[in-house]
Amino acid sequence: MSEFKIAQREQESVHVLELKGYLDAHTAPTLEEAFQSLLKNQRFNIVVNCKDLSYISSAGLGVFMAYIEDVRKNKGDIKLSNMSPKVYNVFDLLGFPLLYEITRDEQEAVKKFSPAK
Amino acid sequence: MASPSSSYESHFEHSALFEFSTVINSSLDLRFILGHILLTLMGKLLSSRGAAVLRHSDGSYHVEMVKGLPADVVGRSLVMRSVPRGLQYTERVNVGRQPWAKFFDDLGLEILLPLRSGSGPIGVLAFGKRVTKTHLAARETTYLKSLANISATAIDKCHTIEELKLVNRRLDRKIQELNTLFDLGREFGAVLDPDKLVRLLVFSLMGQIGVHRYLICLRDGIDMRIAASRVDGAVPQAELLTLLTKVKNPVTVQEMIVTTAKDPRPALESLGLHAIVPMELQGQTRGVILLGEKLNRERFSAADFEFLSALGSLAIISLENARLFKEAIEKQRMEDELLIARDIQKGLLPSELPSLPGIDIAAANFSSKQVGGDYYDVIPMDDHRYIIAIGDVSGKGTPAALLMANIQATIRALVPLKLPLGELTARVNDLMCQNTGGDKFVTFFWGALDYQTLTLHYVNAGHNHPYVLRADGSVERLDKGGMILGVMATMIPYEEGEVMLCEGDILVLFTDGVSEAMNSASQEYGEERLEAMIRKAGGWGAQALIEVIHEDIQRHAAGAPQSDDITMMVVRIVTRA
Repeated sequence: MSEFKIAQREQESVHVLELKGYLDAHTAPTLEEAFQSLLKNQRFNIVVNCKDLSYISSAGLGVFMAYIEDVRKNKGDIKLSNMSPKVYNVFDLLGFPLLYEITRDEQEAVKKFSPAK
Repeated sequence: MASPSSSYESHFEHSALFEFSTVINSSLDLRFILGHILLTLMGKLLSSRGAAVLRHSDGSYHVEMVKGLPADVVGRSLVMRSVPRGLQYTERVNVGRQPWAKFFDDLGLEILLPLRSGSGPIGVLAFGKRVTKTHLAARETTYLKSLANISATAIDKCHTIEELKLVNRRLDRKIQELNTLFDLGREFGAVLDPDKLVRLLVFSLMGQIGVHRYLICLRDGIDMRIAASRVDGAVPQAELLTLLTKVKNPVTVQEMIVTTAKDPRPALESLGLHAIVPMELQGQTRGVILLGEKLNRERFSAADFEFLSALGSLAIISLENARLFKEAIEKQRMEDELLIARDIQKGLLPSELPSLPGIDIAAANFSSKQVGGDYYDVIPMDDHRYIIAIGDVSGKGTPAALLMANIQATIRALVPLKLPLGELTARVNDLMCQNTGGDKFVTFFWGALDYQTLTLHYVNAGHNHPYVLRADGSVERLDKGGMILGVMATMIPYEEGEVMLCEGDILVLFTDGVSEAMNSASQEYGEERLEAMIRKAGGWGAQALIEVIHEDIQRHAAGAPQSDDITMMVVRIVTRA
């Protein structure tokens, strides 16, 4: 069935999650675990690179909603980058650009963390 | 007849109209179109200011764009009950009847050019005084009307396209909602862990509706239990949750109609919760979804509630399935346990009774569905005596069966000591008290039957008094003994009873499953009926007597399931050995 993977790396004190595949109700718990462990390890500057994300469902978006408050409470943020038009359309349709910073490429998102810190 | 110069002018006007039409129809950008319209008309009129006022779908008019006027005029709205049919001068409009004329007058907009499409007025173009300060000639008026018509068509087209885009987006959202339901439906079908189900529900709610605050309550019997929550402040109390089960339809907290004595709204508002969606199953509210403000701060719409209700139904069905599944497993586990109990019990009861010379002895245990803790035994004591025993352990199932096994082991170990029965009983009782902690007990009767002398020494520890039916028809009950076993350490010694048996006498031991066998009207079989049966069938063999009594009990019960084991032992003195 649906395949979903997360690759993680650290870049200039920003934690980058690369999502790959289908993010739906079935795979949402995988992303949830990733966020949980980031929070546990005090990583609050997070960029989610969606270059290889081929699909996102509401349950997938819900995971972002579930963690954004905790991350921002710790003066961090979750920024998103490299979305395909199809994935962006879902974010846009549900009004997420209001709440999340979405950039064209990952570097742009990473840079947004540095001046303030 | 047109003069040559007017023919030239006419040609010029036609090509200008054509060009104008080409330009404004080449774009779908309303701002570009309006800008071009205003500038073209201002040029034609030789006017230094212009405004485009458009009608919105709710019937109100709004300034969309201005030229040569302060920018803050844009966005101002006005009420126009009627719009001039053709070109009109502001000064000629009756301000008393058309108050909107004052708005144009104040801005120095003197010439009004209505925009109409097939469906009616769509706006007004307004322009300032002409630099030439002359009124428009008839020909110019006609030309302006043509421009206005072309403009109206272009604006109308723009509106239609905007509307289509909106419809498209709404459709996209609907598709997204359906995808969410489909996604969850598929996943819910595969998940049987209620906690995981609730978490997926929460994710979908947060993602689809865009909320941060939520409270999911599920019904647990009569009470509502919080399954998941993220609210402002402390988690609400049970009392508040119970009030929410009264909500029958999705509703915003604001619009909630309070039918209960206590108003739950202030509490909900302080928790940051804005909407309530009951989760119904077979017309019963089995849970409630409460949601906080939406990300875009919009009100919860009918479409939102429609989606939430569908999501709620889906979730509650899956949760119910998970609950039933768990229950089925639990039931299976209990049935397995009962099978074990039944096996233990059957293993303990003697499969075959020893044959005693001159004595006809039979026993039977009919275990109930739950497996009671009934027990009987016949144990050789020495070369002329046998122990006959019957007992009923409190409780049912495996614990009762295990205790029964314990007692059997104890008495089998103690019998060879050949101590007086009263003393043995005291020891069994003390051992049991030490081992069970006093929360379990046994009614117990045992006797040492000497088949040579036909004497029976017995102790009755709180058990149903066995019957002795004499050959002459008289009845004795064996009631000597003491406390039931397992309640407290022996303080008062157990009294030993003694009966002399004769040829033709019958001894009937039984458990309360016999005397208390119920029919569907909750009437007990009773000792009187038992005694009558013993008398009636007294002449029969031991096994036959048991069968007759059992059949009579079944007749009484008439199919009602029995909650307790039915156990009997019959000893008949056939001949002196």
